[in-house]
Amino acid sequence: MTFEVRIKKWHAVASWTWNAGDDVCGICRMPFDGCPPDGKYPGDDSPVVWGICTHAFHLQCINRWLQSQTEQKCPFCRRQWEFKQAVVGGEDESEDGAGT
Amino acid sequence: MPMDVGRVQKEIRDIERDRASGVTIEVQGNSLQKMIGCLKGPSDTPFEGGTFYVNIELDDQYPFVPPKMRFITKVWHPNISSANGAICLDILKDQWSPALTLKTALLSLQALLSSPQPDDPQDAVVARQYLGSLPEYRQTAKQWTDTYAHTQQVVGLEAKVQQIVEMGFEREQAVVALRAAAGDENQAMEILLGA
Ligand SMILES: [Zn+2]
Ligand SMILES: [Zn+2]
Repeated sequence: MTFEVRIKKWHAVASWTWNAGDDVCGICRMPFDGCPPDGKYPGDDSPVVWGICTHAFHLQCINRWLQSQTEQKCPFCRRQWEFKQAVVGGEDESEDGAGT
Repeated sequence: MPMDVGRVQKEIRDIERDRASGVTIEVQGNSLQKMIGCLKGPSDTPFEGGTFYVNIELDDQYPFVPPKMRFITKVWHPNISSANGAICLDILKDQWSPALTLKTALLSLQALLSSPQPDDPQDAVVARQYLGSLPEYRQTAKQWTDTYAHTQQVVGLEAKVQQIVEMGFEREQAVVALRAAAGDENQAMEILLGA
């Protein structure tokens, strides 16, 4: 008797964390190791970004806010918002973000 | 895009857990888009001892747009319409930020009761009185608090609650709506039906 095994679904499991100071996004209130409301998967699909003011948000969340505003200000401190750096997969990439 | 229900649920849980904050919130219906907020009048103001109810409506875009808030309880205050409860407060307009919450907004309303801003009035008549004769303003504001914001004056509350419960509403909802409507059953029904 033989069994045929077919893989219908592959569920990748990886351990990773975002190196963010506060562990909850200040806009959607979801943990940075979770999804923003319109993201399907935590992790690569829901990157966390910092402003030069050091406040952090999901990329989707801060983008949606900035797009709805004429003045580009941080939701927390109301300082001019500028992306500080993008962090990918929990490792710091010390290159400057867009706009510099 | 539909409203961020997850965030709103968290906000409500947070308000329920933090009893010390002095503000409460009651959801109306199932959609999480209509609620009634409640705050105590700050001490050392003409609103002391009063309980103030606020109608709250959340747009699909919330928290990227501010919550719509309006006093249900009649208030005599330069930044609140004495006719319809409309509020003039910057964070409910162009100074809104998604980092703010329903709780911080309600606490800001409480702070507004303590510190009127007559230069940016919602009610010109009240603002003129505030700037012209502060003692007179305080007296009128206190009278309004005594008349409209003292919920223990709701006469025969229990009987009215029963009536509304029999129509199929939750007891808690009925109590809040009746208090907010100062005991007026018709207005309470309008609140419950989201009119
Ligand atoms: Zn977020
Ligand atoms: Zn900031």
